[in-house]
Amino acid sequence: MSEAVLQVEGLVRHFNDVHAVDDVTFSVGRGQVLGFIGPNGAGKTTTMRILATLDVPQGGDARIAGYSVVEQPDKVRRVTGFMPDYAGVYANTTVFEYLDFFARAGGLHGAARRQAVDTIVEFMVLGDLRERQVEGLSKGMKQRVALGRALIHGPQLLILDEPAANLDPRARIEFRTLIRELAADGKTILLSSHILTELTEMCDTVTVIEKGKILASGTVRDIVDGLRQRRMLSVRLATPDPRLERFLLEQPGVVGVHEAGDVASGVSPAGDVVSGMSRTLRFELDGDDQAQVQLMARLIAAGFPILEFSAHSAGLEDVFIEITKGRVQ
Amino acid sequence: MEYGDTISIEEPAGSRSVRLQPDPTPEATSRVATLLRRFDDLSDRLSPIVVKEVRQIVCGREFNYSFMVSLVIGLLVAFFGAANASSGSGTTGQGVFTALTACLALLGIGIVPFGAFSALRSERLEQTMDLITVTTLTARKVIVGKLLAQAVKLATLFAGMAPFVATSFLLGGIDFVTIVVSLAMVFLVSLWVCAAALLVSSLAKTRGMSGALLAGGVLVLLLLFGGGTIINRLMFGLARGGVVSIGIPFRADGWWALAIGVTLGALSLVNLMLLAENRLSSPVENKSTALRIGFFVQFLAIIGGFTAVAHFSSLPGAVEPMAVFGLLHLSIVAAFTVTEDFPVSRRVLRHIQTASRWSPLWTILWPGGGRGAAYVLFQMVLLIVAVRLLSTREVGWVVAACGYICLFTGAPAVLLRLVRPRISAFYIRVAILVLLSASLVLPDVLYYIVAQENGFNLLYSTRHLINPLRTIANWSIVEARGLYLMPALVGVMGVLLYARLMVMNRRTSRTAPLS
Repeated sequence: MSEAVLQVEGLVRHFNDVHAVDDVTFSVGRGQVLGFIGPNGAGKTTTMRILATLDVPQGGDARIAGYSVVEQPDKVRRVTGFMPDYAGVYANTTVFEYLDFFARAGGLHGAARRQAVDTIVEFMVLGDLRERQVEGLSKGMKQRVALGRALIHGPQLLILDEPAANLDPRARIEFRTLIRELAADGKTILLSSHILTELTEMCDTVTVIEKGKILASGTVRDIVDGLRQRRMLSVRLATPDPRLERFLLEQPGVVGVHEAGDVASGVSPAGDVVSGMSRTLRFELDGDDQAQVQLMARLIAAGFPILEFSAHSAGLEDVFIEITKGRVQ
Repeated sequence: MEYGDTISIEEPAGSRSVRLQPDPTPEATSRVATLLRRFDDLSDRLSPIVVKEVRQIVCGREFNYSFMVSLVIGLLVAFFGAANASSGSGTTGQGVFTALTACLALLGIGIVPFGAFSALRSERLEQTMDLITVTTLTARKVIVGKLLAQAVKLATLFAGMAPFVATSFLLGGIDFVTIVVSLAMVFLVSLWVCAAALLVSSLAKTRGMSGALLAGGVLVLLLLFGGGTIINRLMFGLARGGVVSIGIPFRADGWWALAIGVTLGALSLVNLMLLAENRLSSPVENKSTALRIGFFVQFLAIIGGFTAVAHFSSLPGAVEPMAVFGLLHLSIVAAFTVTEDFPVSRRVLRHIQTASRWSPLWTILWPGGGRGAAYVLFQMVLLIVAVRLLSTREVGWVVAACGYICLFTGAPAVLLRLVRPRISAFYIRVAILVLLSASLVLPDVLYYIVAQENGFNLLYSTRHLINPLRTIANWSIVEARGLYLMPALVGVMGVLLYARLMVMNRRTSRTAPLS
């Protein structure tokens, strides 16, 4: 991994008896996008608030660009941009005034401040909204302004809590593109979201958290490979055949055979009339490529009318369900 | 264009700009742009909060309505004043000025502080405070910025009224010094109420709590200024005290009182802001030292002010008020400093260790209940010495009062921290209030139950020695009967408890830093 901009070590935060963050450790390199996923109440927001210096850990520490969030919060704030899951806008304030205020608050003066505001307005495509009241903007536009606010002082790390929530599909796609552009520009990004398919496209790595504990961390592929030793396969027949399930279960290495919808009626190759039965069966194969080839050969030899024989790759949603399912209760 | 690219503001060489319409005055436009840019650069010298708040204020309805209403009232008062002046009395200006000042006082004590309260309240409730916290702005800059923005608002309202105030001077019956002093006082009082409103606003974290605090604040304001007699108190209360004497030359004592009042007002204003800052600061920050310095300066001002009055003015009996104010100050300070949590953040602990090397005395200003106890004891010694230098007669009850303060704040702090070392400071402060209430009521209630008398016997006697307020109020009886044993025991126990707190704090700081 490239030089770590964010290093979290043994972070602990308890609220009375609730262990919101319990010994959390991870790191993110420069220009990388880390997706922070977990169910509601998992500890994502608490961790992010600690990293943004809005909360204090009871144990452990985190370093952002080498600065400790506990001991050097003022320095951390100079290199961090935080976008919470709420817009945080002011009344009687235009987009320009809003960005100008946060540029001043970020320590920018004179020409540097004016240039930072102009750059953000152009980069976030806010030119037409410059003199509009922030309060009256749509959610998508507010989100843009909020991201602009988090970026205006040129931070190294961006912490985005549920940034794509409440956005329409077009705004989401635009947002995804923005994130990738920022990462290409060298920004390190930590973001949380419930929309897991989007995270797969935006993030280089993911960290799964539940009940304050890190359950898995790495690329989606690494996590899937680490979790699934068996291959997920499916067979789709031209017509349903009641013999298939039993046949599969008799093959070496095959487990967990189950129907996968796709219900149809017809006459099986054996001449039996079947109705309301699934044409597709899913199962797991504990074996390598050779085992998969042999199984397919045996199915064909047995005379099953095979329409499709396919392998399934698990996605982030499968990983999320697999990992967080009551593991830490 | 990529994010982070430098924007070139120069035109490329050889490029030709195409204008659809001819610019009539390009030089004037560029001059205006340059001037605006200079103003914009100058605004960098101000706090970003002031710039933001003033922008919001001038666009807001509240300020525009206030300004308009004040102008209309000013115009009406000046008009009727001028009409009345035609009778030739030559004193119409006094009435006009009073009416104008009343209008300004209403705006300054009612409307503007409400704006200050709302400004911080909405930051907290709308969670924009978090967005400010993650910038380079500190809690102090936020509070100072908010107060300065209200000062700008006040100054604008005062400036709007200036022509009408000038009219009152021209109409006669009021001198220039009275006008200046009165307006300055109204401005300072308004600023003080704004600072108090910011403190009250910083206490609230929820809408319900915020509403309750606002209602409480309004009630306190009404009680302080006597409801319908707000203006009367503000203006004529000062006049009766000899400070502002309409048409009468200022007396020297009046100036003394004004100087002491303004100094204490300014110091307490600073302390109100420090308290608000304390509420907004992060737990890893040092939330105590600035407050301790602020309250120590206020304490020195109390002692110094009354000592100066005793030496240089003809006002009699300055020692007793000095002792009363000093002890009130110390009892409030003790209730908050002695009860402070022991553990401090790693960041603060490191600073304390650095400061300790420089001067051990300096550490009494750092956070922690034990250091707070040392801080209070140090001030008690100063007070006793100051009283002793001015009058030997008053020393006895002052020492006794210090002993009671030590016992009533030290006992709950030590006992509760022994039972539960990590107990919240809030519960200790509640325990102090309970202990004090019990000491006020229990002696009479228990005596009534035990003695089976027909009614309460409220005459001061030995059983009341546990009641600090009655004992201090009846110190002459204590002296006459020689009832020194109980107050002496209380004092010794109090000092021992404070010493115990210091030891406990020292141990905790070494072993258990917070985060």
